[in-house]
Amino acid sequence: MKLLIVEDQAKTGQYLSQGLSEAGFATELASDGDTGQHLALSGDHDLLILDVMLPGRNGWQILQAVRQAGLDTPVLFLTARDAVEDRVHGLELGADDYLVKPFAFSELLARVRSLLRRGASASQDTCLALADLRLDLIRRRAERAGQRIDLTAKEFALLELLLRRQGEVLPKSLIASQVWDMNFDSDTNVIEVAIRRLRLKIDDSHATKLIHTVRGMGYVLEERHD
Amino acid sequence: MRRLSLGSRLALLFAACTAAVSLGAGLLFSRASEQHFVELDQQLLNGRLSLMSSLLAGVATQEQLVMRLPALLNELSHQSDLALRVRGADGATWFASRGELPQAPAPTGLATLHSNGVDYRSLSAPLIDGQRASPQLTLFLDITHHQHFLQGMQRLIWLTVGLSALATALLGAWAVRRGLKPLRQMGKVAASVTAGSLTTRLPAAEMPEELAELAGTVNAMLQRLDDAFQRLSAFSADIAHELRTPLSNLLTHTQVTLTRPRSLEEYREALHGNLEELQWMAQLVNDMLYLAKADHGLLMPSRQALDLATEVDALLEYYAPLAEDAQVRLLREGQAHTEGDRHMLRRALSNLLDNALRFTPADGEIRVSLEPGLRIVVANTGPAIAPQLLERLFDRFYRADPARQEGSSEHAGLGLAITRSIVQAHGGKIRAECEDGWTRFVIELPA
Repeated sequence: MKLLIVEDQAKTGQYLSQGLSEAGFATELASDGDTGQHLALSGDHDLLILDVMLPGRNGWQILQAVRQAGLDTPVLFLTARDAVEDRVHGLELGADDYLVKPFAFSELLARVRSLLRRGASASQDTCLALADLRLDLIRRRAERAGQRIDLTAKEFALLELLLRRQGEVLPKSLIASQVWDMNFDSDTNVIEVAIRRLRLKIDDSHATKLIHTVRGMGYVLEERHD
Repeated sequence: MRRLSLGSRLALLFAACTAAVSLGAGLLFSRASEQHFVELDQQLLNGRLSLMSSLLAGVATQEQLVMRLPALLNELSHQSDLALRVRGADGATWFASRGELPQAPAPTGLATLHSNGVDYRSLSAPLIDGQRASPQLTLFLDITHHQHFLQGMQRLIWLTVGLSALATALLGAWAVRRGLKPLRQMGKVAASVTAGSLTTRLPAAEMPEELAELAGTVNAMLQRLDDAFQRLSAFSADIAHELRTPLSNLLTHTQVTLTRPRSLEEYREALHGNLEELQWMAQLVNDMLYLAKADHGLLMPSRQALDLATEVDALLEYYAPLAEDAQVRLLREGQAHTEGDRHMLRRALSNLLDNALRFTPADGEIRVSLEPGLRIVVANTGPAIAPQLLERLFDRFYRADPARQEGSSEHAGLGLAITRSIVQAHGGKIRAECEDGWTRFVIELPA
């Protein structure tokens, strides 16, 4: 998976590049609009991360050029501007997502993964599993080590999200948005409490913990072998 | 082009009015006196003419007339401004008491004539009534002195018109200047208002009635400006203050960490500490940008039909685990529908629930009531809030507890301000009430 980052702020670009590389993506960084467009038109990227305000041509112009060249590479915009018309403009031009600075890296990573997954065919899983945890999506049943676990509807949805994106750190805002449809940053610890309750049912009576907290980033479901 | 000043305009208007009125009055008077003179003349001429007619009764030829002349002349000599002409039925002049008499325009009746610098009033009549072939008498009255009087009067009228117009213009200008003094004062006050002196007010009580309302309006505007300015100043100061604490924590923490080599675990811990501060700051900045957008009228809610019961239930479900932990009951009652922005209204209500959960003691209750029409009431049991603080709850950075606890998870105090902005963006109002052990946040939305 190769990503192109077009960002004129040297530090931002460098940190993004480092973070995404360490998350397992190949990244290429351009620091001005013209270079960015040149690279974007080569067509060998799976995702473009564009800043709106750039020296040379701006992010919107790059997006237009890319779409005109017939490329449907997903595009994620980063911007310090948060005017509604900006957002609408970007989405009209064919942007796939939009993040306003300041944003959390975990949020960016989650969105990047969502966008990359969008291309792949939506999985028609009937059953999700990790280690000895199984989730039967059709019968809405969860079990661990053969033991049936009673979950509320939201707990089930939360576990399904964690299982579908196992190994990924999911920020709280993404969980709130995906499970409860709460699309705003809230400073409550609702998600913490919800995760704690899910842990109580999934992990507490088992030696191998599956739900892990990544401090300051979010939560991840994975099997760790220490 | 510069427009005429209000004072000059009024002065000119006054002058024009006075001129019109005095001109009208003058013309009326002049007409009336002229009419009066005509009547006097007619009376006099009528009397004289009948006298002359009786003197000349029976005269049919010029010879007969000559016989009567002495009596006629004697009669005429009594009045020097009177002249007589007698003409035969064929139009030939038989007698004229004075030369250069003008032609009478009509065979009978009164006329005003002018000849050789003399004005006459003339009255003609046939000597024998109702007979066409009768000698014709015409009496002429010299009315030059009347005309002089009338002309003099007209001059006087014009003079009066001119002088009174001038006088009213000057007096009017003076009066307007005096009358508009409060306006100039208002202007002076307005000119002296700067960001630093928004407390200046106009003395509305001392203003004349017409200006008192305007002064009141201006004062109210100054009050609003002052309030907004105070809020803005306080807001900037608050931002700086809010950011100062986490920034200082970050600086200190980072510098202390770097003073000597540490274990990997210690570095990790330091970064985590910083991350928490940074996330708190990012959240603060995002909330402030949201509020700034609202202030600039850029918060444009979409309008979609919403079943508020569904929305509230979703929110209560979201908060259920938290409420259960805090041993607080969450209830929703009633139904309501509205058109609004789902995400924004969810955010607004979420802030209220968040706030309610913070202040509801264990075994308390949070109740969301929906009333069609349309009201949303979020009520919670809990300690009473002093009435003077209820309005301030929606102020930015306002916290019931002034000393913010150190620690990043503490909220910044922007939640209720954001809720109010969202409600206002939907054209609604929000207020807080406190009674009978319940704190209520009442949102009123246009139905």
